[in-house]
Amino acid sequence: MRWGMVIDLDKCTACQSCAVACKTENNVPFATPEQSERGHTIFWMDILTRVWGEYPRTKARFIPRPCMQCDSPPCVQVCPVGATYRRPDGIVAQNYDRCIGCKYCMVACPYGARSFNMGRPEEPETFRNYANPDGRVARRRVGIVEKCTFCFQRVDTAVARARAEGRPIKDGEVRTACAQTCTGGAIAFGDLDDPMSRVARLAESPRAFRLLDELGTKPKVLYLMEG
Amino acid sequence: MRSLVGPDRPEHILRPLEGIGGTYLLALAGFLAVVALGAYHLVFNQWARGLEVTGLNSSIYWGLYIINFVFLVGVSAGGIIVAALAHILEFKAFRPISRMAEMQAIVWLILATLFIFVSIGSPDRFYYLLLYPRLGSPLIWDVIIIATYLILAMAMGYLGTRADLVRCMAVFPGRRWLFRLLALGYTDISPAALARDRRLLKTLSWVAIPTAVLLHSITAWILGLVKARASWHTSLMAPLFVVSAVVSGVALVAIGVLVARAVWRIEIREEVARGLGTVLAFSIPVLGYFLFAEFLTIAFSGETATFEIVMELVWGRFAPFFWANLILGLLLPLFLLVMPPRLSVGWAFARAAAATAFGAAMLVIWPWAGSDVQMLLPAWFPEWGGVSQPFWILAGLVSLILVLTVVVPSTSVFVRVGTAALLVAGGVFLERTNIVVLPQLHRFLVEFYGPGRYVPTWPEVAVTIGIYAVGGLAFLVLAKLFPLVELELPDERP
Repeated sequence: MRWGMVIDLDKCTACQSCAVACKTENNVPFATPEQSERGHTIFWMDILTRVWGEYPRTKARFIPRPCMQCDSPPCVQVCPVGATYRRPDGIVAQNYDRCIGCKYCMVACPYGARSFNMGRPEEPETFRNYANPDGRVARRRVGIVEKCTFCFQRVDTAVARARAEGRPIKDGEVRTACAQTCTGGAIAFGDLDDPMSRVARLAESPRAFRLLDELGTKPKVLYLMEG
Repeated sequence: MRSLVGPDRPEHILRPLEGIGGTYLLALAGFLAVVALGAYHLVFNQWARGLEVTGLNSSIYWGLYIINFVFLVGVSAGGIIVAALAHILEFKAFRPISRMAEMQAIVWLILATLFIFVSIGSPDRFYYLLLYPRLGSPLIWDVIIIATYLILAMAMGYLGTRADLVRCMAVFPGRRWLFRLLALGYTDISPAALARDRRLLKTLSWVAIPTAVLLHSITAWILGLVKARASWHTSLMAPLFVVSAVVSGVALVAIGVLVARAVWRIEIREEVARGLGTVLAFSIPVLGYFLFAEFLTIAFSGETATFEIVMELVWGRFAPFFWANLILGLLLPLFLLVMPPRLSVGWAFARAAAATAFGAAMLVIWPWAGSDVQMLLPAWFPEWGGVSQPFWILAGLVSLILVLTVVVPSTSVFVRVGTAALLVAGGVFLERTNIVVLPQLHRFLVEFYGPGRYVPTWPEVAVTIGIYAVGGLAFLVLAKLFPLVELELPDERP
């Protein structure tokens, strides 16, 4: 079992609903305009944006960026207390009770996929009504690092259900919040080790590439190049 | 050998230990006030609200605190170099300052750990570093090596000071208990016991040298093993840190010794300042050489990510730091140290005139120079504050030569070495800043994230100053507890 994701940039419309779905699913704090201005935002799923040229002659590129869930994760390599670790199923997880907030993993991540809880988020009281009640994604405390976990709470629930029913987990049975909400159906999630799975087949596509592949981090998030 | 009583009594060494004067209390109160200011901002600002009160943001995670950590680990090298020269190579001139140098090494290293403590987001979990260490992390290697080095330095300090503490028991009967406590109750100063101390000290000095090399290498590897930041990931990082540590460490020892000379009127002979100056003068070119080797490799290959960082350094936002480090932090002190001390007034005037003429000529000629000459240095054209960069660089060089030719020959060796040491220490601090900050601001995928910004905030600066004030307090206290110079030096006077 090796969870992976393939994002088809040709199908991505840059609607950013994946970023929003991720925030609600994982209780990622929102930021005020002032906090955003100072760069104190947290995005587990971010949309990398690049625009060339001057209006009206512009060209743009959008890349949804979750955590790359590297197979040889540089963050895990440097963590001094073992707060971030690679699970047997390939997910790079974060132990929020262990993290001391030294930010070494953030420095070591070439993708900028990790965020720091700079301060207490300022939100209206009503926001609590929309929070995900799952204890595994309870709000992180100030002073520690957090990042995309491939919605491990959904993965673990589905795997446990399949095991209880005594059957192998089906392809497409688990979907991360971003994959579920993606309007263009651009995000596929599944088991890279299963050669028949959708992600494994898409990963074989000639359009497939990995971000900063040359660094040898072996990301399990792949992209399909725009046609 | 000197005796502790009678006309030969080393007044200048014993005087600082005697009593507590008004000035001392004033200095103590001043440092305490600064510490209190820093502590206030740490507890009621940074810890109460989180790191959002600092200038750190989503593009830079290690800022002022880590710069100071790296700098302070570096300057702690001075103690070991001086001690090694004094104890192993028996370089007599450094015997009188070896104790001060070791004290500094210990204090700087403790301050460095304080900077790590304030830099982390969850200080209540600081002890997790000892409870759940992951031995694969360079940060844990650093914890181990810092602890080892601290213990070693303290052991060396103890062995080198014990005999004097026992002697002080006789000189200051009122504080007998204190000195006995500091000597850990071991009061045997028979020649045999002293010889044993010396032998042990020499052995520890031998052990301390590789330990110090490891200390600075591991601190470099915290950054140098990280492939995610272009320009950190170079095998030159560790040797560069070792050399930077030597340069800044010796500079800080020189500053410390001169401050002790000014404040407590400790008799320091010119030979000592000249010796420190010589070590500096030999190590500065090595540092310059390493920087040059690194820059040539990057510039020649033009490999995108690192090349962009170097361009940012040489001509971009960090250019003021870079050129200040190069000109004011390396070239100027080097000239200060190697310039012949005496020059006739006529020669000095002629040199100043020549320098001015050269600078002016360059400024006038530049716009008309052929484009191929201008292309020698790419990106020549961006401007700082409306004036082109070559102007600033030439102005810097001209003022440098002016200062050298007019001021240098007339000053004492203390002033020259002290000035050079201050400049070098400042230069290395800027170098550390460039190394720590710039590769974070100019990251991979910068075409998407955009170049980052970092301006330290006031609470961050206050905490930093507060930690340095802790160091000031430590030195004040140490000066009352230990004689700063060995009381009995073999053949100390010529």
